[in-house]
Amino acid sequence: MAVYIDINRCIGCRSCEVACQRVHGGHGHINVHYVGDYAAVPVLCHHCQEAGCTKVCFSGALHKEGEVTAFDVEKCTGCGLCALACPFGVVWTDKLAHKCDLCQGREQGPACMATCPANALSDDFELAARRARERAARAAAVGGRR
Amino acid sequence: MIRVDARVCLGCMSCSNVCPSQNITRSEDSGRRTVHWKRCKEECDLCVELCPAKALSLVPWDENIPEPEISFDLVACRICGSPYATEPMLQRIESELPAEMQKDASGLEWIRICPVCRRDVEAEGTVRQMVLARSRK
Ligand code: SF4
Ligand code: SF4
Ligand code: SF4
Ligand code: SF4
Repeated sequence: MAVYIDINRCIGCRSCEVACQRVHGGHGHINVHYVGDYAAVPVLCHHCQEAGCTKVCFSGALHKEGEVTAFDVEKCTGCGLCALACPFGVVWTDKLAHKCDLCQGREQGPACMATCPANALSDDFELAARRARERAARAAAVGGRR
Repeated sequence: MIRVDARVCLGCMSCSNVCPSQNITRSEDSGRRTVHWKRCKEECDLCVELCPAKALSLVPWDENIPEPEISFDLVACRICGSPYATEPMLQRIESELPAEMQKDASGLEWIRICPVCRRDVEAEGTVRQMVLARSRK
């Protein structure tokens, strides 16, 4: 499981950044990047199956728990290796590592998802895939290349 | 007292973070990171235990041994040029990740790119996919 993005919907408002910071004591785990004037893309942990961050974590703080890339704060020394081993640049370290924990322990689920006014975030892979297919179908119905 | 094996120290942030007595200091300026181990009389060995490189050991107190200090030039990001990591840390990552993971689909050696630029690359790639998907229709 991860939070999936639909950049066709993202309006670049950065509400997700603020929501994530709010539930994690000021440490945000999601960053909205702007690509020209063209699009905004929230970048966050993919909870990779083969997660680089967990492979280099010597203390076992970052580890896989099923599909989730989980973090055990008690074991972390803040060495900084994980931040350098994530291909997507979505792990931060100061005295400790910080990364998306899917808002573990928050009853209502991921805060970024709930906050997004454009409905651009979802933790449902099927929904994300269905939306993409529907868009493709709509475009095909309208016809032609754009 | 702490002894440091300078050949294996990564210049990471572990020991300076975990020392409860702030006996290990880390400073960073103009692209250099310096780690300094003060003379330490504590009975604890947290830093020794928690060094990812096993670079530290405890040795008997001796005033004549100077306090160890190591400086690392930080490696510059290949895209933006900002210093972001020590060379030994990057080499450690290169030695621990499977080779096929070390390049992205476009062949980019992302380990040599700073985390901010990695996010930019990821964002640009996502947009490129969207544009491609649209133009295929
Ligand atoms: S932090 Fe990075 S490497 Fe780790 S699971 Fe998330 S996206 Fe993958
Ligand atoms: S900073 Fe913490 S989580 Fe990251 S590699 Fe080091 S010990 Fe593991
Ligand atoms: S799921 Fe939670 S921790 Fe992960 S990015 Fe969203 S708000 Fe942050
Ligand atoms: S924890 Fe070990 S590798 Fe990291 S700076 Fe200290 S001595 Fe060097």
